[in-house]
Amino acid sequence: MNKVAGLTQLAISSRFSRLIDFSPVVIALLLALVVSSVLLLALSADPIAAYSAMLEGAIGTENATAETLVKATPLLFVGIGITIAFRGGMINIGGEGQMIAGALAGTTIALVLGDLRIAPEFAKEKGAFDLIIVTLSLIGGFLAGALYGGLAGFLKAYFDVNEILSTIMLNQIAVQMMNFLLNGILLDPAEAGFNNIPKTARLVTAAQLPRLSLPIGDPFLFARTRLHWGLIIAIALAVIIYIFLWRTSLGYRIRAVGENQRAASFAGINVKRQMMFSMFLAGGFAGLAGVVQVLGLQYRLQTDGSPAGFTGAAGFNGIVAALFGGLNPIGAIPAAAFFGGLLVGAQKMQRELGTPASLITAVNGLIVVFVVSSEIFIQQRSKRRVSVAEQAEDEEEKAKDDG
Amino acid sequence: MRKIRFVLIFCLFAWACLQSAAQAEVFRIAALMPSATNDLAFSQSMYDALAAIQEELGEEAFEFTIQDSAYIVDDAAVALRDWAASGKYQLVIAHGSQYGPIVEELATEFADVSFAWGTRQDTFGMDNVYSYAAASDEGGYFNGVLAAHLTESGVVGLVGPIEVGDGKLYADGFANGVASVDENIKVNIVFIGSFSDVPLATEAAEAHIANGADILTGTAQMVVGPIAVAVANDVLWFGSDASQDDLSEDIGVAFQIYKWEVLLLDMIANIKEGKLGGEYYKLTLENEGLVMEFDKDFVASEALLAIAEETIASIVSGDIVPIPEMAEEMMDEDDSEDEGDGG
Repeated sequence: MNKVAGLTQLAISSRFSRLIDFSPVVIALLLALVVSSVLLLALSADPIAAYSAMLEGAIGTENATAETLVKATPLLFVGIGITIAFRGGMINIGGEGQMIAGALAGTTIALVLGDLRIAPEFAKEKGAFDLIIVTLSLIGGFLAGALYGGLAGFLKAYFDVNEILSTIMLNQIAVQMMNFLLNGILLDPAEAGFNNIPKTARLVTAAQLPRLSLPIGDPFLFARTRLHWGLIIAIALAVIIYIFLWRTSLGYRIRAVGENQRAASFAGINVKRQMMFSMFLAGGFAGLAGVVQVLGLQYRLQTDGSPAGFTGAAGFNGIVAALFGGLNPIGAIPAAAFFGGLLVGAQKMQRELGTPASLITAVNGLIVVFVVSSEIFIQQRSKRRVSVAEQAEDEEEKAKDDG
Repeated sequence: MRKIRFVLIFCLFAWACLQSAAQAEVFRIAALMPSATNDLAFSQSMYDALAAIQEELGEEAFEFTIQDSAYIVDDAAVALRDWAASGKYQLVIAHGSQYGPIVEELATEFADVSFAWGTRQDTFGMDNVYSYAAASDEGGYFNGVLAAHLTESGVVGLVGPIEVGDGKLYADGFANGVASVDENIKVNIVFIGSFSDVPLATEAAEAHIANGADILTGTAQMVVGPIAVAVANDVLWFGSDASQDDLSEDIGVAFQIYKWEVLLLDMIANIKEGKLGGEYYKLTLENEGLVMEFDKDFVASEALLAIAEETIASIVSGDIVPIPEMAEEMMDEDDSEDEGDGG
């Protein structure tokens, strides 16, 4: 009887505990909004109107929802990569550079193959989606990002070069390389002369990822938006990487290295190889983010010369999405959508209220800081719960032995 | 009772008509800018122009909304699409040549919305797209002539953003202006590859000073860095896009100021008459879209003032062509195509 009551109490306590686990996120979000309200009030902006505009900008209309998902797509790709790296004990701050590397390679492949398909052997109905071009471009983008990320992994594994520093430095190299190429051999021939904006030529339709719509209503849902198939690819890969990390021996080895390198080494795991491999994959996913931005959205690689000009800082924001997603690829899906909505909604707030862009950045930053900080609280609670459970088990065993 | 009801309905109908008529009279512009509206450069010039139009037409007749610091092209697309789809704005301005591909895509989709973008010449052959540019080579040439007369070291430094658009025109015009006075004066030009990288622009300005420059100039929003370097080293500064005399303290000489309102007012009039686009505009010294202004603290000699006036008059009359190669190229294009953009 006592055992049944105990189990019931444990179940209730477990549910209550989960509820408490989630509440810090909500509380953190509310606190962030309260603090942000102070900033808004200081600039004579109505916080209620501001948050209403933000919500409307994120999910208020069909187009707003689509833009949120469009914004979430690169965050999810990068977030998956960050998750792999972090699970492998590597801190990858090089998402920006890896995105650029992927975009440069993928765009080049798409442009070259796009020209080639004019040749009779590639002849198809003009403008039709060409699976070969798109697939090869995506693979090229993945490999370029992977090699770029893998380089930092190699330096860390074999020369103990701090990967935070090396990835940040590699970001700068990638930006300068992009600026150099976009002002040189990759420059759109139509731009050469007095107006050479650094951008490539526009991809042929065959090299573009198709737009995505759902067969709901007439016209179809999202039919007149910029939502593209990159989102579906990202979600599918998130599921695949979850299975890879938690259901395969290779994934287990990566996680083992991330948990405890010495223990993993004693268990016969090649630690250096796993470190490199996790960075290789992380870079690959960031590279995919870059090439998907080009193939699915912009149809050309373009920059204003600044690091975020092309990436939109997704290489950094993806880290936040990964952390908020609990370093779990499946968790990264809603996390990326949340931050996508935050970024898109904040722009609407600026347009509606005329608030300075810097305030929007500050409000976004506050929300990120509060929400991510709440994760620490949840993790501490989780650790405490594990240790209490272990202690209870020990006591139970001791009691049995005594009995 | 029926009469009262009829009168009430009539009053409500009349009130609704008056309301909609009053709303229809308001002209609304939405503008997207790549940097802050207080950047003392490109974005501020557009913001100042919109504010000037509002002052001229009155708040009841003209409203504008903006999104600034939209240097990420993808973010720009979100804003432009939102404005175009809302149907609230008679004109949507994409103030940056990097936004061109987005405008081209949206203008096709929203054929009843008027778009304006610059600084470029291309209207994509669409009837609902205006394009605009500034002949910044004219102001660059003017500043170059004055700089050549004021330099003592014989070295002048220019910090540019990316080698494109009006930034490149200004640099070429400036170099030609200096050379027109004295070909032996060295003009060191550095394009830093970014519109917004203030630390890099500051480094470039420092390098110019280290190489003997006693006059600095530059374009784009990152010039706040070079201006600070000029102030710290007490060397003269020539600016472009907007007035920078508040920042340049007592080292500012002259500024080329963009008066976008000159072309915007014309666009507004056109749109009211039903012409949504298809025209190219250019700010020049002749149409007073470009204005050369001396810094309030700068005391120009009589001789320098005379040179300044003469230079402007010669550019306006066509006696001076700031970039002859460009003029020749345009003439060749005109000859081969028989027709060019208007405006």
